[in-house]
Amino acid sequence: MALLPWEYGIRNLLRRPLRSGLTLLGLTTVVLLVLVVVGFIRGLERALAVSGNPQTVIVFSLGMGENLEYSSVPMRTSDLVAASIVGVQEQYGKKFASPELYLGTQIRTSREGAPGMGLVRGVTPSALLVHSQIEIIEGDWPQSNEVIIGRLATTKLGMSQQQTRIGQPLWLEGREWRISGVFSAAGAVFESEVWCRLDDLQQAMKRQDLSLVALTLGPDAEFQDVNQFCKERLDLELQAVSQVDYFETLQKDYKPVRLLAWLVAFLIFAAGVFAGLNTMYGAVVGRVRELATLQTIGFPRRAAVASIVQEGTILAVTASLIASAIALFIVNGSAVRFTMGAFELRVDSVSLLYGCGTGLALGILGSLPPAVRVLRLPVVDGLKAV
Amino acid sequence: MKTQVTLAATLAGLLLAAGCSQESSTATSLTTDPAVPVIDGSKYLLSEEPADATTVIEAREKSEDGADVVLVGRIGGSVNPWVEGRAAFSIVDPTLKACSDIPGDECKKPWDYCCETHKLPTSTAFVKFVDEDGRPLQTDARELLSLKELQTVVVRGKAKRDEAGNLTVLASGLFVRDTSKPSTSQQ
Repeated sequence: MALLPWEYGIRNLLRRPLRSGLTLLGLTTVVLLVLVVVGFIRGLERALAVSGNPQTVIVFSLGMGENLEYSSVPMRTSDLVAASIVGVQEQYGKKFASPELYLGTQIRTSREGAPGMGLVRGVTPSALLVHSQIEIIEGDWPQSNEVIIGRLATTKLGMSQQQTRIGQPLWLEGREWRISGVFSAAGAVFESEVWCRLDDLQQAMKRQDLSLVALTLGPDAEFQDVNQFCKERLDLELQAVSQVDYFETLQKDYKPVRLLAWLVAFLIFAAGVFAGLNTMYGAVVGRVRELATLQTIGFPRRAAVASIVQEGTILAVTASLIASAIALFIVNGSAVRFTMGAFELRVDSVSLLYGCGTGLALGILGSLPPAVRVLRLPVVDGLKAV
Repeated sequence: MKTQVTLAATLAGLLLAAGCSQESSTATSLTTDPAVPVIDGSKYLLSEEPADATTVIEAREKSEDGADVVLVGRIGGSVNPWVEGRAAFSIVDPTLKACSDIPGDECKKPWDYCCETHKLPTSTAFVKFVDEDGRPLQTDARELLSLKELQTVVVRGKAKRDEAGNLTVLASGLFVRDTSKPSTSQQ
C-alpha cells in the first residue's frame, strides 16, 4: 500500500500552527488531569499499603472496629501483653511493644490562632522499635512539652512551612508545645501525624489509659498468638489486628473514594475524546479538497486515513510526553490533605501508563471518525468542496 | 517473525501460569501450612459424654488452677469465638440465651449473645486444645473437631486460672452434645 510520506503529516501539523498548538494544549490538559487523578489514587493506595508491617500487631479495645481514636485500654496492657506473649521481638532486653495514645484533635499555632485538625500520637521511645520506618530527618526526638512532626503534618494541619519550623510553638490540648524535629516514615500515614511523649499527652488530656499497644513479633511468634491472648484475657476486653489487615480495612473503607476518582478519570478521558473529535473534524473538513486531490493523483483512501491518524497520534504522543514531564517534575510528590492525614500524589509507572495510554487513545479515537468520513466522501465531491 | 510471536506468546503464557500458581499456593497456605504436621482430631473427640459436667459459671466460681474439670457450654460469646488456625474457642454458660433462643429475634450472628452481653464476662470460658508440651494445637478447631457456633460441647481438661478470674480449659477431650435429643446428664 502506498502511504503518504511521514513528513507530509508533520508538515501538515506545522502548516496550521495555531490549530495544532491549541489541540496540543487541549490534549496535554486532558492527559495531565488523568495523571493527577491516577496519581491521587496511587498515592492514597501506596500510603496505606506501606503503612502496614506484616510482623506488627495492634492491640486495642474490643468492639472499636478500626476506630483507634476511640479505643481505651489500661496503661498496664503494654507490659502485660509484652510479658505474656512468647515471641515478641526483643533487642538488648527491650521488647518491641509500643504503648500509644492516639487521637484527632485541634492544633493551633497560637492560643487564639485558627485551628487545624491534626492527628496526635503520644509515644515512648519504643515506638521507634515498632515503627521501624520512622526516621528523624531534622531536629531531635521530643523532650518534655515538645512535639516532633511528620513531614506531611504541615499539609494535614493546613499551615505554612514557616509555622511548622523547628522551635515554633504549637497549641494542642490546652498546652503550648515546641516543635523539636521532623520525621519521615517512608511514605506511611504516620508522616501526617504529630508525635509527643506519652506521659506529656496523658497529663495534658488528664488521661491514664492508652489507645493501643503496637507489637512487633519475632520470627517464632504469629498473629494468632496475640489473638489468642486477647480472647483468653476476657477481663482486659482486648482485640488484636495485624497492622497489614488494619490498613487493608482502611483501603476498603476508601474504596468509594477511589471508585469516584476512577469515574472522574474516565469522564476526563471521555471529555477529551469528544474535544479531540471536534478538533480533528474541524481539521479534516478544512482539508477535504486536499485529501481528494491526494486520491486523484494515486494515493489510496487508506493512505489519507493513515496520514490523519498519524497527525492525531503525533499530537497526542507529544501531549502525553509534555503532560508526563509536568506531572513528574511538578505534580509528583505534592502533598494532599485527606481525612486519614495527608499523602503525596504519586506519578509512578502505573500512573504514566494510564496517562500516556489515555493520550494515545485520544489521538487514535479522536482522529479515526473524521478519517472514516474522508473514506466515505466521493473524490469528485471532495474536489468540488469549498 | 512468526517464531518471535510464538515465543512471546509462550513466554506470556508461562508468566501467567506462574502468576496463577503463585496465587493458588498463597491461598492454600492460608488453610494448610505444610510446616504444621497434620493432627488427628478424632483422638480428642470423646465417644461418650463425661459425667458430672459443671456449667461455666459454676466452674468460674469453684475451679482452682491446675484442677481437672469437665465443663459444659455453648460455643460463642463474641462475633468470632474462634482463634483462626488454633484449636481454641470460647464457650458460654448453657443457661444464657443466645439470640436464636429468643422467638422472633433475627440476629444474624446469634452466637455473640448480644442479648446477654452484661452476663458474658462471668459466664464465658476459653477452651484450648494443647499438645503434650502444653502448646496450643495449630489447627483450626472448626476443621480439627468439625465444630460450629452454638453447639453444646462438654470439655474435659485442666483449669487454668489467673488473678483476674479468667478461666481457660487446657482441653484433652471434647464431646459434642446432640441437642436435638433430650439430655440425661446433669447441667
